[in-house]
Amino acid sequence: MFSEQAAATAQGLLAPPSAEPPTFPRVAVSGYSDCSQPFQLGERSFARQYAHIYAVRLAGMRPGLERRARSRWGNDVVLRRLSELQEGEKCCVVGTLFKSMQLQPSILQEISEEHNLVPQPPLPKYIQPSDELILEDELQRIKLEGAIDVQRLVTGTIVAVYGCEQDNGRFLVEDHCFADLPPPLPWSGPSSDRYVLLASGLGLGSVSGEALLSTQLLVDVVTGQLGAEGEQSCAAHITRVILAGNLLSQNTQSRDTINKAKYLTKKTQAASVEAVKMLDEILLQLCTSVPVDVMPGEFDPTNYTLPQQPLHRCMLPLASAYATLRLVTNPYQASLDGVRFLGTSGQNISDIFKYSSMDDYLEILEWTLLVGHISPTAPDTLGCYPFYKSDPFILTECPHVYFCGNAPHFQSKLLQGKEGQRVLLLTVPDFSATQTACLVNLHDLSCQPITFSSFGADSEDGDMELEH
Amino acid sequence: MSRRAMEQPRRITDSFPRRRRRGPGRPPGRLKNKKDKDKDKDEVQLKVRDCPRAPSQPPPDPALMEMLRRFDLSWEYGPCTGITRLQRWERAQELGLSPPGLIRDALLEHRDNPDVTYSLWHEYEL
Repeated sequence: MFSEQAAATAQGLLAPPSAEPPTFPRVAVSGYSDCSQPFQLGERSFARQYAHIYAVRLAGMRPGLERRARSRWGNDVVLRRLSELQEGEKCCVVGTLFKSMQLQPSILQEISEEHNLVPQPPLPKYIQPSDELILEDELQRIKLEGAIDVQRLVTGTIVAVYGCEQDNGRFLVEDHCFADLPPPLPWSGPSSDRYVLLASGLGLGSVSGEALLSTQLLVDVVTGQLGAEGEQSCAAHITRVILAGNLLSQNTQSRDTINKAKYLTKKTQAASVEAVKMLDEILLQLCTSVPVDVMPGEFDPTNYTLPQQPLHRCMLPLASAYATLRLVTNPYQASLDGVRFLGTSGQNISDIFKYSSMDDYLEILEWTLLVGHISPTAPDTLGCYPFYKSDPFILTECPHVYFCGNAPHFQSKLLQGKEGQRVLLLTVPDFSATQTACLVNLHDLSCQPITFSSFGADSEDGDMELEH
Repeated sequence: MSRRAMEQPRRITDSFPRRRRRGPGRPPGRLKNKKDKDKDKDEVQLKVRDCPRAPSQPPPDPALMEMLRRFDLSWEYGPCTGITRLQRWERAQELGLSPPGLIRDALLEHRDNPDVTYSLWHEYEL
C-alpha cells in the first residue's frame, strides 16, 4: 500500500514550500460497535468451583457436535453417553478431552514433603510421549487410544469420537471430529480501502530503549508526520489502531523488592509506574489523531485471569481526555465498518503451544477456530474466571478477522470455510522484538506487515529503514 | 480550578442535602444504605450461615424440600454447588434442558428462606 503511492511523491520533500500546504483528512469512522459484552465482568465472585464452566462448555457445544457427527458418520450413527457404552458396539461419544501429562506443573507435587522435590523450572513445552488422552462427559471418563493424535490435542477441547469400547476398558477411536468453523457472519465491509493497524508487545519500561525509537516512528507514521505527501495520504486511510496487549514489558514485573529489606526499597517506585507514564504520552499522541483500542496483555496492570478487564482510565490521565481512546477487554470483539474482529493478546495461543506438539502460532490459531473455542486450556493451565452461566469463549459466529498478539513472527492466512466463511487469520508479532506491526485492509481482507527498524549497532551506514 | 482558591467557610457539598452518618468511623462518602447493595447481589457469599428467616412465612413442607433436594442431585442440570437453586434453574432453562417449572415457582414463593434458595451444600465453603 504505502510503497506504490509514496514513491511517486518522494521528491515533494525537496521542493520549496507551497503556499497552501495540502491536508489529508482522515477517513471518517463509520460503523463501530463493541461486541465484547460477554467478556466484561461486572461484579466478580470467586466462591465457585470450575466444574461449572466445564459443564456449561460441554452442554453448550454438545448440540453442534452431535450435528457434525451425524453429517460426518451418517444420520443413523448411534450417539451414546459414557455410562451407556456397550463393549464392541460402534458408537459416537461427545465429551471433553483431558490430557494427563507427567511434566505438567502440579502444585500438589511441589508442596508434597515426601518427595522433597525442587519445583521444576518452566519448560518451553511440557509434552512427552507418555501422555494419555481421556474423554470425560458429565458422569464418567474413559481412556482413548487409536486414530487420535495425543501430542497435538490439549485439555478442555470438546470432541466427538467414533469407535467402540474394548474389553480392556479403553475406547478405540476410529475417527474423531471437532465443532468446525462456526456459522458465517454476513459481509458488509467498506467499499473503498480502509486500514486498521494492529500492533502488540510495545514493551515499554524495558531495560533497553531500542524499541522506543521504533514506537515513535510508528506513532509518527500513523499521525502523518512522517514521509512525503504520498505516505501521508496513505496514512490518512488508517481508521483505527488496535494495541493487542503487553504494552508494558516483562521487566516491569520484577518483584525483587519483595526479597530486599524494607529500608533499601522504601523510596523505590514500581517499574510499571514510569512505564505507564510513557504509555500515556504515546497514547496521547495517537489519540489526538486516530481512534485507538487498547487491550491488556500478560504483563499489564490488570487482572491475571482471562477475560482480562480493561485498564483503568485513571492510569492514563492525559490520553483518557480524548474520546478516541477505548480501553477494552482481552479477548476483544468488535465490528469495525461491518468487519467483525476477534482477537486476544496471545496468552491462549502461547498456553496451547506449551501443552501441544503444534509449533506454529498460525497453526494453533487456526486450530482454535476449528475447535470452536478461543481458549480450551482455560481454566486448566490458564487462569480463568469461574463462569457458571455460560462460557463466553465458545465461538458462536465466525469472525472476519481473527488475530492473536505477541507472536514470535508475523503470519497471516485467509481461510475459506465450507459454508462461505472467510476469515483472515493473523498473528501480530511482538513489537519490542521485531519492530513489526500489521496493516489490515478492511475492503478485501488483505494484510501486510510494516517494519520500523532503526539502525543497529553493527550496521555501517546508519540508515533508518521503513520497510513494507 | 482547585478548591483551595475558594477559601471560605462555605463548601460546594453544602448544596447537597445532609444525611445522617451511619457510624462514627464511617467516611462521609459512603452514605448509601448498605442494605440496598446486599439485595442487588445475587451471588452466594462465602459464609451465609446466619441469614435471618422472615418470620411471617410458614415453613415449607417436607415434600417440597425433598423435590428441591432431588433437583440438586439430578446430574442433567450440571453442578449444584456454589450457586443458588434459582441460578441453576435459569441456567438449565437457557441451555434447553427443560427443568420443571414447579421448582421455579417454589423457589420464587419461598425466596426469603435460605434453606430453599441455596443448594444442599451451601454451608460448606467451596
